[in-house]
Amino acid sequence: MLNAAEKSYCLALQALRNKRYQEAVGYFDRAADYFEQNKEFAVLRDTTRLLLAVKGELSVSGGDDTLVIEEVFSDGKEADVSR
Amino acid sequence: MSRTDTLKKLEHMLESFLDRAVALKAERIGVLDGINRLDDIAREMQGGNDVTDSVGSWFATHNRWLDDRMLRPAERRRVNGILDEIRRGIPAGASSSPATRKVAGEIDRWTGAGRPSRPDSETASRLVLRRGTEEKTDHREPTIAKFANTLEKITNLFADCSGNKKHLMSALDDALLSAGNQGNKEALHLSALIIYYLKQNGYKVEPYVSQLKEAERLQKGHGGSC
Repeated sequence: MLNAAEKSYCLALQALRNKRYQEAVGYFDRAADYFEQNKEFAVLRDTTRLLLAVKGELSVSGGDDTLVIEEVFSDGKEADVSR
Repeated sequence: MSRTDTLKKLEHMLESFLDRAVALKAERIGVLDGINRLDDIAREMQGGNDVTDSVGSWFATHNRWLDDRMLRPAERRRVNGILDEIRRGIPAGASSSPATRKVAGEIDRWTGAGRPSRPDSETASRLVLRRGTEEKTDHREPTIAKFANTLEKITNLFADCSGNKKHLMSALDDALLSAGNQGNKEALHLSALIIYYLKQNGYKVEPYVSQLKEAERLQKGHGGSC
């Protein structure tokens, strides 16, 4: 059977493959104790963390203050409510 | 270049790096997904659920692993171990349903095919490992029985590592990889044994000794790899 850390690492890789970076970091953290000395693990986890930090920084300092929200109503029509 | 542009460039670079890293491991990740799913099924079964359909569906998806020889020796042992767990929980007697019997048969076929085979069919034999009744012992104490058990595991591992290989060095490479990357203790013992054998036969073994020491260091540092 796989232990919890191994399962978490597998799920982290799946999340990375699907570009769900925040989720991946969560799984990496759960597996961290077990894979502490694994270099590949450390590179993937730290790169994902750095990417999230960059994304976070971009979201607050992007300089683009336009927020675009699209809503799709039940009749199938889209309404653009850009602000 | 503005700060935002720099951050965007860095974001793109990091995403590309992760994409490529994942792409390089795509096949391995697929295998790990499958092993993880099988492990989930085994846990469902331990929870008292009927997993016949789930196992059947798993085989339908992953049957090609057997034919394509996609699994590494360590992965095959992992899959066989989990299938053995599931097999023990599946009643396959006359009173069980056809679907259950079919799944049990499929597991037997899979685990039977997964065992290492010898190229000479006349000497080929199937080795079935069974765990005896558990006894209360001091697990740290080395005993003759434990050593014999380890020796058997090493023999099986060697059969895995040397299958389809033309030279002992290639089997040693495989064993060292398994010892380093997967933290496999038997692989470490096997590597040391092969290195000693090669040394006795006049081969230069220094590079292998370095790899062995690195694998040993890794094993002392961590528990394993995914």
